[in-house]
Amino acid sequence: MFSKHVTKDISAYCHGELSNEESKQFAEHIIACAKCRAKFEEVKLGVKLAEQLPQLSAPDHLWRELEPLLSRHQDEFRPRVSAGQLKAAAAVLVLLSAWGVWLIYSNRGDAILTVDGKPAWRVKRLDGTPTVGTERISNNGELAVGEWLETDGNSRAQIAVSSIGSVDIDENTRVRLLQTQPTEHRLELARGKMSAHIWAPPRLFFVNTPSAVAADLGCAYTLEVDDQGSSLLRVTSGWVALELQNRESIVPAGAACETRPSLGPGTPYFEDSAAGFKDALKQVDFDPDAAARSSALKAMLDQARTRDTLTLWHLLTRVEGEDRARVYDKMAALFPPPAGVTREGVLALNQQMLDAWRDAMETTWMGIWKGVPKPLAEAYWKTKNGLSRRLKDMAPK
Amino acid sequence: MMVAEQLIDGRVIEACQQGDRAAFQLLFETYKDKVFSIAVYSSGGDRAVADDVTQQIFLKLFTAIRQFRGDSEFTTWLYRLVVNACLDERRRRRRLLPWGETVAMRNPVEKKPQEKQYARLEVAEAVRAAIGELKPKFRLPILLKYIEGLSYEEIASVMGCSKGTVASRLNRGHSQLAKRLSHLNNPAAWGE
Repeated sequence: MFSKHVTKDISAYCHGELSNEESKQFAEHIIACAKCRAKFEEVKLGVKLAEQLPQLSAPDHLWRELEPLLSRHQDEFRPRVSAGQLKAAAAVLVLLSAWGVWLIYSNRGDAILTVDGKPAWRVKRLDGTPTVGTERISNNGELAVGEWLETDGNSRAQIAVSSIGSVDIDENTRVRLLQTQPTEHRLELARGKMSAHIWAPPRLFFVNTPSAVAADLGCAYTLEVDDQGSSLLRVTSGWVALELQNRESIVPAGAACETRPSLGPGTPYFEDSAAGFKDALKQVDFDPDAAARSSALKAMLDQARTRDTLTLWHLLTRVEGEDRARVYDKMAALFPPPAGVTREGVLALNQQMLDAWRDAMETTWMGIWKGVPKPLAEAYWKTKNGLSRRLKDMAPK
Repeated sequence: MMVAEQLIDGRVIEACQQGDRAAFQLLFETYKDKVFSIAVYSSGGDRAVADDVTQQIFLKLFTAIRQFRGDSEFTTWLYRLVVNACLDERRRRRRLLPWGETVAMRNPVEKKPQEKQYARLEVAEAVRAAIGELKPKFRLPILLKYIEGLSYEEIASVMGCSKGTVASRLNRGHSQLAKRLSHLNNPAAWGE
């Protein structure tokens, strides 16, 4: 009875989540074990305190402010075409039905269920003989939640990511499906290289790597992980967020970002930046020597161009003191801050000012983002900068 | 389940999926306080941020509810939306921090002078502030347990983790609360 401590069950006991037998054993142990009893008293106080947490009342103005925002989306529920147009579309659909049937049965993208009832994605062999678990894929296969897909030096595969896109798996790569459900699809890339093409709302598709999580914001990108767990993200269209704990880098098309285990994402940079700029940035991001970082920062700033404000803006919050002041001065020379954004405010990391400056510069970063439709770019803006605030700004006064 | 929540049945959700504004207002009125409470506690007591987050959640709900297929309980689905929105908002705000720093929590919800005389309300204020200082992985299970009244299994479903993980996080959350507020471990502090 005294063999196993019960500290991990204390909250469950307090909340009546243990079975009768478990509760009985728990109580008997607590009586006999001074260590668990002391912990029990502590958690019990925590429970008593948490019970004092009141439910708050939402302010009355919320619905009034929400209604006009809802009106903007009401159209999404209405048919967008006339009855005549619908009839014509129906006729076209009939003509296309044979093709549709073929498409559905030859290349289905929706998540499927394995014979064990596990959700899975379809996998297509591109070259060689990729494996899922211990099973070789001859032409088509399934990747269930929890399973690993591996390619060797001669094989490649393509995964249909539910109905929202596809991922090409290169040679010598190891990936695992962690989750697939309507609100989240998540892969783990342990090593190797993958290319993702996703056409879904932002933050629906994620890739875990040993040193960061790549969150899709509606885009195409490649992601490589080496044997040390470091990764390199290169975005070809749209935007990707790289995250680890409290650190986040937003990477637009044409830009790249490296990550390191335990440090997380470095600072994003445009791939056409000067070689010296990129080399110096690597030092700024990952060199453990503070003096070397400061010196590299100076070299970076000397070579920065206007579009490199993407990198400099991220650096503002990642360097301190005089280094931050240098970054500010260079940015101000390349892209003067908009009205209301002051040097003092930026150096003090005033979030509103940082956001305002970024908003102004982002149009420049997006301007070089060729080939991406404006609505997609705007959708990204709405998501990242706060949909509510944007719609409020646009609402008639 | 509260009486108001019993009004939300399959027909109300189906009407919302058709874009019925009256049905959606019923949904809003039913869940607004709970959603707002989580948003306030998750934003360190900043009501302006909580207003914004709550609006975003209901705006997202208005369009995304068409994707709800009844595979899980509606409340589980809704709270998953709430948890993700609160985590996203927190990430958005913390991206601007230098390496190794943490967010300085703002003051909790402003105290009303007349409340200060009541010991219990003082305790509640202290708990609000302490909750705001917990890491999200410990804070959110506590909010889902005490504000929403969810079971461990429901919390696990919302958070996408196991029941064991929920139990463990609640344990650690409770311990941290107790340590931060150990000065309240006497009857006088509770007005007793």
